[in-house]
Amino acid sequence: MRKTGIVALGAIAALALAGCSGSAEGSSDGGSAEIRVWLVGTDTPDNAREYLTETFEKENPGSTLVIEEQQWNGLVDKYTTALSGSDSPDVVEIGNTQAAAFTSAGAFTDLTDKYEELGGDNLLQGFVEAGTYDGKIYAYPYYSGARVVFYTSQVFDGEVPETFDEYVDAGIAMKEAGTPSGIYAPGKDWYNMLPYVWENGGFVAEQGDDGTWKAGFSSEGGIAGLEQLQTVYESATAAPKDGDETNAQVPFCEGNVGFLSAPSWFMGSLTAAADADTPGCPDTFGSDATAFALPGKDGGAAAAFAGGSNIAVAANSAHQDLAYSALKIMLSPEYQKLLAANGMIPATSEAQDALPDDAVTAAAAAAAENARLTPAAPKWADVEASEVIKNSLVKIAQGGDVTEIAKNLDAQIEEILNS
Amino acid sequence: MTTTVSEARAEQPTPDRPRKHTRKKRLTPWMMLAPATIVLLVMTGYPLVKMAINSFQKYGKAQIFGAPPEWLGLKNYTDTLTDPTFWAVAGRSFTLMAVLVVATMSLGILIALLMMRVNGFFRLLISIGLLLAWAMPPVSSVVVWGWIVDTKYGLLNWVLNTVTGTTDWSGHSWLIDPLSFYAVLTVIITWMSVPFVAFTVYAGLTQVPDEVLEAAQLDGAGAVKRFGFIVLPYLRSILLITAVLQMIWDLRVFTQVYTLQGLGGISSQTDVFGTYIFHLGSSNLGAAGAVSFIMVAMMLVISIYYVRKTVKDEEI
Amino acid sequence: MSVATRAPQTRAAETASVDSRHVTPGRRHSPTRRLKHAWSSTLWGTVSIIVFVCSVFPVYWMLNTSFKPNADVISPTPQWWPENFTLRNYVTVLFEPARPDRANFPSAFMMSLAVTGLTLLICLLFAFIGAIAVSRFKFRGRRQYIIALLVIQMIPGEALMFTIFGMVDSWRLLNTVIGLTIVYLAGVLPFTIWMLRGFVAGVPADLEEAAMIDGCTRTQAFWKVTFPLLAPGLISTGVFAFIQAWNEFLMALIIMQGPGAYTLPIWLRAFQQATQSTNWAAIMAGSTLLALPVVIFFLFVQGRMTGGLVAGAVKG
Repeated sequence: MRKTGIVALGAIAALALAGCSGSAEGSSDGGSAEIRVWLVGTDTPDNAREYLTETFEKENPGSTLVIEEQQWNGLVDKYTTALSGSDSPDVVEIGNTQAAAFTSAGAFTDLTDKYEELGGDNLLQGFVEAGTYDGKIYAYPYYSGARVVFYTSQVFDGEVPETFDEYVDAGIAMKEAGTPSGIYAPGKDWYNMLPYVWENGGFVAEQGDDGTWKAGFSSEGGIAGLEQLQTVYESATAAPKDGDETNAQVPFCEGNVGFLSAPSWFMGSLTAAADADTPGCPDTFGSDATAFALPGKDGGAAAAFAGGSNIAVAANSAHQDLAYSALKIMLSPEYQKLLAANGMIPATSEAQDALPDDAVTAAAAAAAENARLTPAAPKWADVEASEVIKNSLVKIAQGGDVTEIAKNLDAQIEEILNS
Repeated sequence: MTTTVSEARAEQPTPDRPRKHTRKKRLTPWMMLAPATIVLLVMTGYPLVKMAINSFQKYGKAQIFGAPPEWLGLKNYTDTLTDPTFWAVAGRSFTLMAVLVVATMSLGILIALLMMRVNGFFRLLISIGLLLAWAMPPVSSVVVWGWIVDTKYGLLNWVLNTVTGTTDWSGHSWLIDPLSFYAVLTVIITWMSVPFVAFTVYAGLTQVPDEVLEAAQLDGAGAVKRFGFIVLPYLRSILLITAVLQMIWDLRVFTQVYTLQGLGGISSQTDVFGTYIFHLGSSNLGAAGAVSFIMVAMMLVISIYYVRKTVKDEEI
Repeated sequence: MSVATRAPQTRAAETASVDSRHVTPGRRHSPTRRLKHAWSSTLWGTVSIIVFVCSVFPVYWMLNTSFKPNADVISPTPQWWPENFTLRNYVTVLFEPARPDRANFPSAFMMSLAVTGLTLLICLLFAFIGAIAVSRFKFRGRRQYIIALLVIQMIPGEALMFTIFGMVDSWRLLNTVIGLTIVYLAGVLPFTIWMLRGFVAGVPADLEEAAMIDGCTRTQAFWKVTFPLLAPGLISTGVFAFIQAWNEFLMALIIMQGPGAYTLPIWLRAFQQATQSTNWAAIMAGSTLLALPVVIFFLFVQGRMTGGLVAGAVKG
């Protein structure tokens, strides 16, 4: 019995401790240690991972670097716990739309004074902005991925559209001519919906002078964009109304898709060997697949969503100096060139000449010039997690009343952003 | 001849037996309960207290990272109770629970009776089937079912096309319409929970004396009535406890809904308590706590009668 | 006297296995009756087969998919049998992602086994002595304790997870088997105590007293007489703890952070995303491997479990 008593006491003591942990310890020791880098998904190529590990261990003799791969799905919850804990990872990759949730919560170390050292104005400015909160830079750009429109001349043999409206019209014409999806537009693929809103003069959300956020899907341009999108859902696509962008290579490889908007590295999926785990179609519809940058309303490249990631040092990392040294390697031209060679838009302009020299990459570079991000609101990640945008799009795809849906959507977004 | 339930009950330990209650004797049961109680107090009790406190605060991501929380009083509760979304979620959760409990219990009882009627070979066949369904991890089974009802390559649409000789079902989405989503969900959860009920009731039936079962003659005219009058009383406590457990489990269902939402449908139209609280999650722990407490309170109002009855039943 | 003869019968009834009961006697006389009998057994046989097919179909579909090349899986016309039979998906699942930055099956399997095993062991021990306390002793607060065990199960864990994370973190037990085990213990104890309590109550206290008359001490009497009778109860309780711990997802996701510490459900999800959710065949192979240990465990304990459930439920 005495023993249980002691256990109970221990438990109570532990409880007391639990209540007051979590203050930033931020001790920077120069000694050797093992640091952990969290990369998300499979996008970072293997040779870049090796380069990071080897270079880090060369520059910091005695220390080791371990990469732990995380998954996009459920990432915000996992980071919320992991970064607030004592056993925090040291360097983390975070989706650009999610960064604000953590920069504003104080989860990352302030790295404002390293701006020049890490590349200064050569860095992707939109992503620097995404990692900035209250005038301080917490998260730096990692890479960007522009969305381009894939097609094959076996399905679409017309002229590449010059304006956004021509693009939509060509999609509708293809559907009328018998191609199931002139434009492949599944209802939950909301990243590819944003150009419709932006090109028609709408906006996602803007911060007023008093600091409150105002959502713009029900603005004049927003509604015009969503109505155009509804036309696409109704007369240009056969994609599942509640489906998302995964598996898009399958209908493409069946010759059922005219235009397919996807990140530039999607080419890899289209041309994957037939006996690969996720086969593409290098011999049929993928053989001559190429891409163009989505055209804007008035020509040029459309305002498209820029996917990609930021990287940051965790505020709770026990090895701030080592963590920073890893982050610095990841932003070095050598490392970024390895990313660029894989078709990703590098974080620093110095690495851009390493981009492959082909049509898809050219299209991506053109698209990147006009690419935009989601609002840098601290609670934007919560808007995404609540799935209100996806849900509204599915309703629009089902033929719902656009004005009403847009108004409800804006109300929900504002409620989250301003709470 | 056979030990009946009532006889067994008569042999129950008699806790009321007069005993000298020395101090040590009185402490013994608590000492034996101590390990479990400590685990529960620390791992459930403390978080519960914390949740209670948070439910009166504005507690979001910034607070998790150390910002001081702001006191809101009852705001989280009043906000929740005046939010139509909450009531929609509550309505869905309780309706789903009712449908699931009825479906699971009736199918489970029928299959148990079937196992009594058929010979050893068929009984083994049913047992194997139920066992496999029971053993399937929830994540696996939702993925498999989701694959069966998949919009583009699902088996169900193909079968319907073949049966009707049309292509009407190509690209039909089973998850986009909330009612249809719930139909799929009900099938999945019922499929997963029937084995527990069926095995439990079957095991209970094997304890009903043979003469009683013979008298009941569970086929032919009036079988339902005879089952109700003759066999049911023997199964009463089993059915009661199984139903209470099903109610609790079905109201708290999370994994199946969450995984299925990932496969299709509109999550705001299909959220139940579990996923609603989860979606509130890290961005608003205060509200999540308030919703949790209101949910437990509602659950208690509905079930306390049965809970007390089950506990009382075995203390006769 | 009566005690001694009745006890084995109780036990026999509890362990009544699948093939103990054949056609109800007293119905093989008149030809019409026999005809009716033949007709009805065909009918019930057919119904049994339908039940079997419904239970097994998703399992069959999972296996069927897992043995096909992925190219054959994503095709508008389903194949009912793997025409191009391949083990490649299993090879992919088992061996391919063997690299330090990504989770792999063997390590997740060992982790799941360790956490589940430890949870099972400690849970049975704690629940066992706890169950004896609530069913063999009368003490103040006993009924409230039992009711509390049910009410605890109503609390949605999704709202507690951030606090629980904070506690496990402050004990420096993240990414450890022990850390996750403690969390799981709190999850399974309420139900297991509740269930075991029924079994303990089902073993007459008089039995122990009879043994004590024969010269055993109370403790000896307990271990020699009562404990063996509780084996089926421990097994069926263990099954529940096993399933819960083996399948749990949410807490494992936040407590086990590095790929090296993943349990199987987390691994399956990571694997699904590493293949961009498109390799359905391999995902089905992964699901099969996740389900396999549970099926094996079930088959192992099946005979005892079905019988064991009765006692628990009848009394519970």
